[in-house]
Parts: sequence; structure tokens; C-alpha cells
Amino acid sequence: MTTSQPSTAAKPWDTPDAVPFMQIKNITKKFGSVVAVENVSLDVYKGEIFCLLGGSGCGKSTLLRMLSGFEVPTSGQIIIDGEDQAGVAPYDRQTNMMFQSYALFPHMTVEKNIAYGLKRDGLPKKEIATRVTDILSLVQMDGFATRKPHQLSGGQRQRVALARSLVKKPKLLMLDEPLGALDKKLREETQFELIKIQESLGVTFVVVTHDQEEAMTLSSRIGVMNKGEIVQVGTPHEIYEFPRNRFVADFIGSVNLFEGRIKEDGENHVVIASPEAGTDIYVPYAVSGVEGQQIAIAVRPEKMEISKADLGEMRNRTTGTVDEIAYMGNVSVYHVLLDSGKRVRVSQSNRTRSNEDAPTYGDRVNLGWAGRAGVVVTA
Amino acid sequence: MSQEETLNGKLPGGAFLGRALHRIGLRGRGLVIAIPVLWLFLFFLLPFLVVAKISLSEAAIARPPYLPLWNWDDGFLNITLNFGNYLFLFDDPLYLSAYIESVKIAAVSTVITLLVGYPMAYLIARAAPDTRNILLMLVILPFWTSFLLRVYAWIGFLKGNGIINNILMKIGLINEPLVMLQTDFAVYIGIVYTYLPFMILPLFANLVKLDQSYLEASADLGARPVTTFFTVTLPLSASGIIAGCMLVFIPAVGEFVIPALLGGPDTLMIGRVLWNEFFSNRDWPIASAVAIVMLVVLVIPIMLLRKAQAAEAEVQ
Repeated sequence: MTTSQPSTAAKPWDTPDAVPFMQIKNITKKFGSVVAVENVSLDVYKGEIFCLLGGSGCGKSTLLRMLSGFEVPTSGQIIIDGEDQAGVAPYDRQTNMMFQSYALFPHMTVEKNIAYGLKRDGLPKKEIATRVTDILSLVQMDGFATRKPHQLSGGQRQRVALARSLVKKPKLLMLDEPLGALDKKLREETQFELIKIQESLGVTFVVVTHDQEEAMTLSSRIGVMNKGEIVQVGTPHEIYEFPRNRFVADFIGSVNLFEGRIKEDGENHVVIASPEAGTDIYVPYAVSGVEGQQIAIAVRPEKMEISKADLGEMRNRTTGTVDEIAYMGNVSVYHVLLDSGKRVRVSQSNRTRSNEDAPTYGDRVNLGWAGRAGVVVTA
Repeated sequence: MSQEETLNGKLPGGAFLGRALHRIGLRGRGLVIAIPVLWLFLFFLLPFLVVAKISLSEAAIARPPYLPLWNWDDGFLNITLNFGNYLFLFDDPLYLSAYIESVKIAAVSTVITLLVGYPMAYLIARAAPDTRNILLMLVILPFWTSFLLRVYAWIGFLKGNGIINNILMKIGLINEPLVMLQTDFAVYIGIVYTYLPFMILPLFANLVKLDQSYLEASADLGARPVTTFFTVTLPLSASGIIAGCMLVFIPAVGEFVIPALLGGPDTLMIGRVLWNEFFSNRDWPIASAVAIVMLVVLVIPIMLLRKAQAAEAEVQ
């Protein structure tokens, strides 16, 4: 997976005196007795593509709707470009939104849909016409100006919706599942275009998605949400390689979680006794914890080795039986049943067209991973 | 499985019937369409042809009160088509002004019904589902009482010493009763009151389907609620407006009971002219010609409606 960096080369979120472009301060939203968003605080910097990632019902869409003014927070504060958004109606906000359903007006042509927001601002006709033409060519939809939305394909509608939400040059663009309605192939192509467009315009994006792959590809940073709370905020790399807790580790990508207890708490290493893994796991860095504490170690399938031969050079080793193999073309995913009964996924990239030595169903195999391959999750 | 087999399997003892129908070329699908086609033939096309026939004949003091269109005389078939009835309609300004008056009254009351009905339909469509059902119920509730009775009740409200005049006099707004009954005003009230549900229901059905995200998108792009209403809600509910207007306009043009009960002697609507020709003058051919011309006048808005519906179907 690729990581896109924001147009500013530095990482503003790591710079102590950087002023966030948008600040969410202790936002809570309740619908009756149901808490949809609970005490969320978040800083988003200028030029970022910030992804709110979570399963359905995690509160990400409610948070987005509060940013655009369609929902009023029960408590808390939203500041965009230094202005408190409390009491500001949606039509007075300098933010725009790309709706999940696109919400293109069915009775208007593409041109009129895009010009709609500019007309509301009372811009001169000439300027509206130029800006519509410009944005249509930016999203590669020149020549479709006089079509009606029902005469467009899903991908074309997505582009028109994007153009309509960008043409007003919003301070902040919110995108609700922007690629959700597209098929996989088109989605991959569109992802990169979206990044290109964002970089050329310098608009700050806040994207809501449930698709972790989409979040990884698009975003400068991801905020993982669960049950109305933000669980972890970080770059795609941080989120993937250093998940803060079991939920994040499990939600992003696939992971093998070995439960265990701290057996040896050294100054620059720990040893975790994990009956589940069938071995003591060595971690070559210090962990904040005490001996005997319940802990889990997360190891990604692609960071493990699988072989019928001995894996003597690996720091952590265990054995098991191949239970299932999923051949996906570029990689093969092995489901290995450890002696403890724990099921482990190991993926191996298929570097050659066929491998005689590759383990097959029912084979006894050795599994191994380097000390730094796993990450300790305490929560 | 063929349709014949389905029919045989479903109907006990239907094998014979199925075969018989099959022999005359009727299968499952044809059978389903046959019933409405037969209905329309028996109760619309046939009566229409009878009326059309009468409209081309000559009035006579006979039973029925018109001369036959054709007779068989010594091996000659004599067909007499009398277009005089139609020419007479255009000769006598009474008929033309009755048509114009009818269309005018129907059009004005349709517009009033729309202005009253649209906000109500909008409100019902936006109400919470529980409230919505109650409000819809209230719209339909008047149908549970006789139409005649309800129009008659308006006389009690509108007459010289009626409820409205009494209240207005009691609070001192007027000194002598207003003349409301037997005026065009009373006819408008009657039509708007009677046909309001026919306006509200199609409008409601349309507005309740309106995707909220269009309104949110409009607001997001900087449109205030009033602008959103005129640029998004109103155009998207056009088909509901057209359907509601047709449902009010078409029966209102031929309305007889309301102008008869509430209208004055100079409220000349085509329904009343028809009644007079038919029952007072016993001139069936003229009455039929009046009816046929009215039908033609009404076919035009119906065709407009069909065109609008086809356009909307294309969008969806």
C-alpha cells in the first residue's frame, strides 16, 4: 500500500507550534439516550487528507454531518480556520460536502448542478461559466456538460459530484464514502486521481470511509473510530505497524494476536509467555508493563515465515499443521493450526510461478518471525 | 413450465377452462389484461359510442327522444348524420360562455387548491411517521360522510343568517350579512373544499419520496431554505403537482352538484347546462353534443399529464 504525503513536506501534526486548520474539541452527539459520538477531539491541518475510518454505526458519518452543520453537537466545539462553527447554518459555512449518494439534482444538467453553488454566491455569469468549464476538465468530464445525471455512469456521477463540491473552492471538503459506489477497479484508479486533484487545489479533505484500503491509500492521517470514539490517530504507516490496541490491530488489515503474560521485563527487551503461540515470544524493546501482566502481541501474516525446513535463524518459532491455503495470485495465505488449537494466518508472496517446496494441506510446518515483526498491544 | 400448465395446476378442474381459453388465444398474460380491457370496453367505450351516436341524431318527441341514425327503407340504407347539434353549440353564445366559465372556475379553484394543498402535503410528508398517519387520516376522513351532505352543510355556513355571518356580526366586523351563498365565491369554496384531498394525496406521495440529501446538498452549496424550495423541492415535485391539478381540474370542469347547491343563477357551468338540456329540455342530442365537446376539452390536459409522467419515468 502506498502512503500519500500532504503537499507540505513537513508533518504539521508533529510540529508543536503548528496551528490546526480545523479543531474539534470534546464533541459529543446524543440522539435521545444513544450516544453516537462521544467526546471526540481532533486536529486537522491545512492540506491534509484526513480519513475517519470505522465500521458502520461507529459515529463517523455523524461527526461529518456535524462538521457540515446538518447535525448540532450536544456539546463541544468545532473551529474551522479560526472560526467557531456553533450556530452557523450549513448554507453559511465555507465547507462543502460530497454526499455518499452524490445527491446530484436529477432535474438539472451536469453544468447546472455544478453552477448551482456559484449561482447562490451571486457570481457573474461569465465567471460561473469559466469555473464550470475549468472544473469539468479537471475531473475529465468535458463534453458531458449538458447531460442529465441519469444519463451518466456511476463513475461519471462521482466525478460530477466531486466537481460540484470543489467548484466553490471550499476551505474544507468533506467526502462521505466517496468511492463506495464504484467497482474495485474504478475505485483504485479514482483514488489516485482524487489525491492528484486534492494536491493541485490544496483543499483540506476530510474523508469518511469504512474501507481500510481506501483510507490507507488516500490519507495523510487516519482517525480510527469505534463506538463513537476515536481510538487512534496516525499516519497509515503508524496505524498499520503500531496499532495502539487490539481493535485497531484487528480492524486494519489482518493480524495474528497472541495472548500472553510478561515473563521477563528487561531494560530493552521483554519475553512474553504465550501458551497460545506454543512458545515464549521475544520482543527486543522495552514495554511499559509489569511482570505477569496480561498482554497481546500482534504479528501481521506477511511478517511471518512458513517453511517445511527448519527456521533456525528466526528469533521466534513455533510449529503447526497447514489447514487451508488461499491462493490469491500475488500471495498465498496459509491457515496454520498451531498445537495449542490457535489458528494463524501466514502469507507468502509467490515469487516464482510454482514452488515444489511450498507447504501443502496437512503438512507439518515451522513458523517463525523476527523479534521486531510483532507489536505489543496492551489495551 | 408453460402458462397453460400453471393454470391447470392452480385451478381445480381448470384443465378444461384452460384448454378452452387457450384455443381462443388467451393465455395467462392475455387473461390478466383481458379483464381491464373488457371493463373499459363495456363501461367506457360503449357508452361513449352511444353518446356520440345520439349527438349526431335529431331530437324528436318520441321514446327515446331522438330519431334513429339509420333506417332500412325498401332496400335502401339511409344514414342521417346531424351535425347541427354541434353547429348549434357554437351558434348560441350560451354554450361557449358556459364552457369558458367552467374552465375558468375549474382553473381558478385548481390554483387555490394547489396553494392550500401544497403546504399541507409538505407538512404531512415532513412529519414524524406516527403523526404522518394521523394527518393523512384527517385528510381522508371527510370521505366517510356523503359528499352531498358535506356540500349541503356549506349552505349552513354561507347563507345570510348562517354561521359565518352570525359570527362576523356578533364580533362587530359587519353590520349586515354578506351575500356569500349563490355566488361564484361559494362555488370556489365548495370545489376547493371537496377536491382538496385529491390535491394533497398525490402531492404527499411525491413529496414523501423526495430524497433529503438533495435538500442537504442544496443547503451545503449555499442555498437558503426558501431558495432550496424553489430550485429543488418545487421542480422535483412537478409530477405530483401536475397529477394533483389534473385530479382537481378534470372533475371540477364538469361539476354539477356544487354549482347547483352553492352557485347563483348566473353561475353557468357546463354541468348545469348539460343537466338542463337533458332533464328540462329533454333534448338528448344537444346534451350529448355538449358532453362530447367537454370530453374533447378535457382530453388536452389529460394528454399533457401523460406527457409529464412519461418525462418523469425517463428520469427515474
